[in-house]
Amino acid sequence: MDNTTQFTSLLENSTLARVERMRMLPMRRRTNRSRGEHLAGKGGTSTEFNDYRDYVAGDDMRYVDWNIFSRLNRPYVKQYRHEEEMHVVILVDASASMQFGDKFLRARQLAACFAIMGLMNIEKVSVFACQHAGTTPLILSPCTGRISMKRVLKFLEDIPPGGDFPIEEAVEAVLVQHRGRGIAVLLSDFLTFGAMDRPMNMLFSAGLEVFAIQLLSAIELNPELTGDLRFVDSESGQTLDVSSVGDLIGFYHEHLNGLQEYLSTLCRQRNGRFIHLDASLPLDEILFDVLKRKGWVQ
Amino acid sequence: MNWPGFSALIHAWWFLLLIPLIVFYFLKLRRPRMEIPSLALWRQVISDQRVNSPFQKFKRNLLLLFQILLLCALIIAAMQPYLSSGTQRVTNLPVLIDTSASMGALDGPGGKSRLDEAKERVGKLIDDMLPDQQLCLISVNSSARRLTDFTNNKRLLRESLAQLEVSHVASRLEEGFRLAQALSRAFPIESVMLLSDGNVPQDVEFELPFKLNFQRLKVGGANIGITDFNARRSRTGWDVFARVEGSKEAKTLAEYEFKQNGQLIKSDSVSIDGTNAERLVFKVSTDIAVSLELQLKPDGFDSLDSDNVAYLDLPKPRPLAVYCPIEMASIRSALSIIPDIDLFPGSESTPSAVDLKFADGPLSPGPEARLNVRVGFVPDELASMIEIESGLAEIVDWNRTAPLLQHVQLLDVQIADQPKLAKGISERDFELAGYEILAQSRTGPLILERSNDSRLDIQFLFHPDRSSLIFRVGFPILIQNITQIALTRAALADARAIPAGTLPPRRLEPETEFHVTGPHGFTDSGKSDKDGFLMGLGAPYVGTYEVTGGAEPLRFGISLIASHESSMEAVEKLNFPEVSVSATETTVKTDEPLWGWFAVAGLCLLVLEWWYFQKKPAGMPG
Repeated sequence: MDNTTQFTSLLENSTLARVERMRMLPMRRRTNRSRGEHLAGKGGTSTEFNDYRDYVAGDDMRYVDWNIFSRLNRPYVKQYRHEEEMHVVILVDASASMQFGDKFLRARQLAACFAIMGLMNIEKVSVFACQHAGTTPLILSPCTGRISMKRVLKFLEDIPPGGDFPIEEAVEAVLVQHRGRGIAVLLSDFLTFGAMDRPMNMLFSAGLEVFAIQLLSAIELNPELTGDLRFVDSESGQTLDVSSVGDLIGFYHEHLNGLQEYLSTLCRQRNGRFIHLDASLPLDEILFDVLKRKGWVQ
Repeated sequence: MNWPGFSALIHAWWFLLLIPLIVFYFLKLRRPRMEIPSLALWRQVISDQRVNSPFQKFKRNLLLLFQILLLCALIIAAMQPYLSSGTQRVTNLPVLIDTSASMGALDGPGGKSRLDEAKERVGKLIDDMLPDQQLCLISVNSSARRLTDFTNNKRLLRESLAQLEVSHVASRLEEGFRLAQALSRAFPIESVMLLSDGNVPQDVEFELPFKLNFQRLKVGGANIGITDFNARRSRTGWDVFARVEGSKEAKTLAEYEFKQNGQLIKSDSVSIDGTNAERLVFKVSTDIAVSLELQLKPDGFDSLDSDNVAYLDLPKPRPLAVYCPIEMASIRSALSIIPDIDLFPGSESTPSAVDLKFADGPLSPGPEARLNVRVGFVPDELASMIEIESGLAEIVDWNRTAPLLQHVQLLDVQIADQPKLAKGISERDFELAGYEILAQSRTGPLILERSNDSRLDIQFLFHPDRSSLIFRVGFPILIQNITQIALTRAALADARAIPAGTLPPRRLEPETEFHVTGPHGFTDSGKSDKDGFLMGLGAPYVGTYEVTGGAEPLRFGISLIASHESSMEAVEKLNFPEVSVSATETTVKTDEPLWGWFAVAGLCLLVLEWWYFQKKPAGMPG
């Protein structure tokens, strides 16, 4: 990618142009009271008609439909849909385990895409990058509008990889800092020793609809290994001696599928979405094919 | 069911190597390190109950298992396992292989010979030989020859076995047993194995000091052959007789060709029906030495070729040369009436060698002779054993079947010379001195005989002139018997085909090296002694032999001439003086060594382990 001619090193200009015209499709409308682009369920001040209701004392007279009043001789208040702001929280797992294959790059690219979608739809976008356990995540404070695009991209480009921040603790650390309803995009491999129930519950309670994307490299999806090996954890440095690895690949796949099913169930039960992706897939295919077909974006 | 045994159980101590093997395996186990994103999933995999099942654990230490199996296979191979046949094991086993003529018999047209079958059996024996067992291969025909010492060197045994050939000679098992007995002085021998087709003399003059396993091979197919070929002097020349016999199955017609000096004299056919012998008679008139050849050409299958031809050498007819001193008038008188005798001294000069010589004293002059008849004195070698005194000796017994005394009545013969044995001397001492007593008086022997291959001495310890023998009818008969013996020894009265084995002794140039060439590329050499006698030259094959090295080459026709070899009749048992040994046709059971299988298994495990160890785990970074 030629940085001199590209707007960002993360995305092709053509991809960026297409992403700018896309928007996220949350399953439920979780918005903030502040005005925004998303139509709220309650009455609002937009130009889009929503419903009528009986006039009650104290209502703004400007919203009385005088044409109805002239025909029925009863005052009805005309209601319009309310356009409120949705907060997009993007959590990028920047721990050491994400450095395998194209996982980290693909995570930042997807984060950039979701952030651009949010910015271009006048949403609040905040980005968190988790690296080392026990430390505060790197934070891009909430921003909105096209004007923040460069800032967001710069933040994502500059996230240093490495660390051992477990994803479940990272979610909790983010929620300590975050306020607002909307969408929480989790970009991680979700390979953690901890349970994801608690962070998912906390996200749900915080009014965030979870968009969980599991990015896996080839060695995690299809580990073609044989013989006796000593595995070394990239984050903790712990070792595990495994004999006849080739004979255990079947069990590995069973446990990987179990993990993915577990995460999918957690998200589904909390009105969230989960998808696992091969990080080696081209970004355009992920964005414009997989996520579109899944109804994540449009 | 026979359980496997181990012939080197001491090597079981090597199993202790399993302890350091297992210890070092776990101490030195080096696994390739591989960094992966997270151990989370692999921890779950390892914790899976199915992964920790015994079978999975077993698979996880496959390399250790290979090493244990490899070590066990090698140790068991070193322990020399064998599958016992159930028979008693012998450590040193002499194997007597019959290589007589009948072992060359085929079992059918284009079939294999008896010797080939014997080789297969011995080959199996060699293959199944255990390391603590030793074989000694002995070839037995008319003599015995040790092919190998006691050895467990299979290559050497197989090479010796491959070089074994059939000799066209009759079987004589005693030599083989004596050789085995001689070996037993150096090695403990419990049992001896004999492989033969059974065409052997049933009675064996040998005291068995060990067990005998007589493995009898199947006899050859139908066979006819010449079992006798001889000639007798007649007034007009020679009457030649041949006997043709066959095996039980042989019912066929055969053509024969009778040749004299290579020229066909007569050709005809003869019908053979089983074991009924056919006698062929030919007349040969010649005044020179001739070589006769009789060849059979059977119409059908004939299992043995070597008995289809026979040779007979007839000497040049001549009178018997006899030397008898003038003083021995009675004997000269008896000789004078016998025809075809040149009596010396006479009108002609005495030759340097004669066929028969009479002498009446130890220093009697005269020519050399093959048959010496000495009368009236005690030879020097017997002087310490016997002496002659004046007195009347009474003959009490004599050997009536001896050629010398056939038809001679010695009863009541008055003899004035009385033998007297020295103190402590018995008949046994004369036998030890090489003499056979032909006539015995009350006080000692009167007529003795001593024979060797080239010379026969007949010793009269009395002088016929001092006895009434010269007045008896038996005296000219006695002299006639002596001349007949002389004629026989000079091959003037009859001639017989020379059986294979050794060439007959001949008197040639003294102390000269002679070379023999014969059929099948056979060669031999020997040196004549100081008297010119050439003896002991081998002639193992039927055919013509030529002896060179002297003034003129000598030619011999060698034949098989063995009835039991041609008859293809196998004996059911061998009769020894005290025991009989039955033959068995079942293949001898041997302990089957298993160490080779374990060695191969060890090699396979080694290759498998090498492959498993060297196999680079897939997915590992370069």
